[in-house]
Order: sequence, then C-alpha cells, then structure tokens
Amino acid sequence: MTGKKDEEGKMDAPTSTPALPAVLAADEAPAETGPSPREAERAAIEACKRGEREAFDQLVVRYQREIYRLCYRYVNNHEDANDLAQEVFLRAWRAIGRFRGQSAFSTWLYRIGINACLNFRAARRPPAQELPETIPDPGVGAAERVERAEQARRLREAVGRLPEKQRATLILKIYHDLTHKEVAQVLGSTVGTVKANLFHGLGNLRKLMAEEGE
Amino acid sequence: MASHLSDRTMTDLLEGEGTPEQRAHLASCAACRSRLDNARAALEAASKVDVPEPPGLYWEALRRNVRRRIAEEPERRTRWGWLAPLAAAAAVVVIVALSVGERPPTPAGVAPTLPAWSALPPVEEDDNLAVVNGFAEEEALVADWEEGRGLAAFVAALSDQESEALTMALRVEQQEGEL
Repeated sequence: MTGKKDEEGKMDAPTSTPALPAVLAADEAPAETGPSPREAERAAIEACKRGEREAFDQLVVRYQREIYRLCYRYVNNHEDANDLAQEVFLRAWRAIGRFRGQSAFSTWLYRIGINACLNFRAARRPPAQELPETIPDPGVGAAERVERAEQARRLREAVGRLPEKQRATLILKIYHDLTHKEVAQVLGSTVGTVKANLFHGLGNLRKLMAEEGE
Repeated sequence: MASHLSDRTMTDLLEGEGTPEQRAHLASCAACRSRLDNARAALEAASKVDVPEPPGLYWEALRRNVRRRIAEEPERRTRWGWLAPLAAAAAVVVIVALSVGERPPTPAGVAPTLPAWSALPPVEEDDNLAVVNGFAEEEALVADWEEGRGLAAFVAALSDQESEALTMALRVEQQEGEL
C-alpha cells in the first residue's frame, strides 16, 4: 500500500483504471502517434465482444502478471496459480459480452479473479509444490535468503488464514494498490467496510504473526 | 474523546489522514496508539512479501494456454447471431417442405419416392414462405416469390440430371392422364 487515498469521483468515471505497476505502465506506454493504452484496451474489448479471439490476447498481455499474482496470493504455489490465472481469463472471455464498462475493466477482471480464487479455496485442493523464492539479493548471504524466504512463506500463510473479506481486502489494497473505492467495487462492498476490513485484517495478521513467532 | 477510534478512522490515520481531533485522541490514548502501531507493523511486514517471479518463458506459455482454451470455446454470437441457427432451421423447414410438400397419398408401407421437384407448392399455398420471407437476405428473392416466380426460379436452378428426371416424370404423369 502506498498510502494512496481514495480520490472521490475517480472511480465514477466509467472506464477509470487502477494504476498499473510501473513495469506494465512502461510496457504499455503509448507510441507517439498510436492510441493510448486505454483506447487500445477499449478497442480490444469491443473486438472481443465481436468474437475476435486474437484481440483478447492484448488484454491477457496487459493483465497477466496482476492476475497471476492475485491468484498466487490465494493459493501460494505456482501450479495452482497458473491454473487459476488461465481460468480467470477464460471466464473473462466467456463473460466479456456482458461487460458494460460501468467499472474499469481491471476492476471487473479482479472481481472474476477473486471469485475464481474463492471457488478454488472452497474446493480445498491440496497445495502443490511451491516455487522457490527467485528474487536473490546479491548483498544477502545464503542463510539470510533462506530465513527471508521462510518469513515470507509464514506471512503468506498467515494472510491465507484471515477471513475471506479481510484477506481479499488486504491483497487488493496492499499488493495491487487499488483504492478503497476500487476494492469496494471488486468486493461489492462500501468504502467504509473496506477500511474497517483492512484495519481489522492488519490487526489479525499481526496476531497471527505473533503466534508464529514472526 | 471518550470512546476509542473506529477501525475506519484507524485506517485513515494509518494512511496519514484523519482529523485534528482524531490525531489528538491518538496522542492521548495508548490503546489506540498500540492498535495503530500493530497495524502499521503488519502492513510493513506484509508489504515486503512479494510473489516469487515465475521463469521468464512462463508468460508466453500462459498466453498460449489461454489462447488454446479460448480456441476450444464455441464461437461467440453477436447480438443478432441467434438468428443464424433460427434461419438455418427455417431453411431446413423450407427445403423439407419443398421436397415433401403436397402430394398424392402414399399407399401404406410404401416409402415416398417422389422426386424433390414434385414438392414445390404453389406460392399461395406455401405456409413456410412467410417464415422464409423473414430471413430472406435478398429482397429480390422475396419479390420472386411474391410475384409467383418461385417455381420458375426453382426449375431454372435444377441440374441437368434433375431436369431430366422432371421431364420424364411429367411425361409419365401426362401419359397417365393425371395432368
């Protein structure tokens, strides 16, 4: 979470989009004369509605990382996150004809993602093998890297033990940088409830971390 | 302020918001300060935990799998796409009507063997024509039927073999005095 507060009215715009991670935003930077990323996204959505499958690829490219990461936060392993990410995009393709642009496409996609993740959790599949942490810090020794990876694993597990709404709120707010209003749209909630869930979730997370000795 | 701060307000304060009154309460209330510190510590710890980056070729594999699964999906229909199967069904009805139509009763147990050309009903008796009219893509075709040129158009479209069969059948029927 970057401390970004809700900008009232921001999400009232029919196609406002949550801030993309820097790497994606840079990738999607508009060409000098080409359409803006938002225009390109709108055009791709309309093409998908006409049944043009190739256009959907553009939307997958744009959101693949965010959706994969969202799924990973729920399942804590690569294999299931991969399956879930594919499922999210497949559901989005099937439903895109009903997307009316009343919220940002990303918000709509996050909602599909959260639903898919919750369905997955309800099915309670046993966890698959986890990917090793692959962000080695050259300034950190092997022992410390192992310790950090273990801390990260414990913390992800603690997040996984939070009640669903608190968990979803924390994930969307902290890791996907959505505003309170965007989180409320994804979860079908209110800004007030999102704020309460966020604080309550952080409090519970702190307790869980203390239980596990951080 | 007598009561403690709500979770909503605590989130505002966590994000650097909050009114002067709320901040004053925080300064004077150890319990609220402790809750805020705990939340801040949890937020800081959670923010550091990233998702392991998948191998470099993963994203292309993901897109390829999504493309494959979408390709297996049935083709999307546009707003009027539902008319296509209906039109196809209507066309089948018309073809069947044209190939069966009104004909002399067949003796029981004998399979109908009338050639397709004999099924063409007069325009004014063709109940299916109204259905066809609704889906006709070319107005000229409709005009043909409305002006009674449907039979001519049908005969004109027959193959040589069909024309020959038609001619032979007409001759037989003429010889039998049925015409």
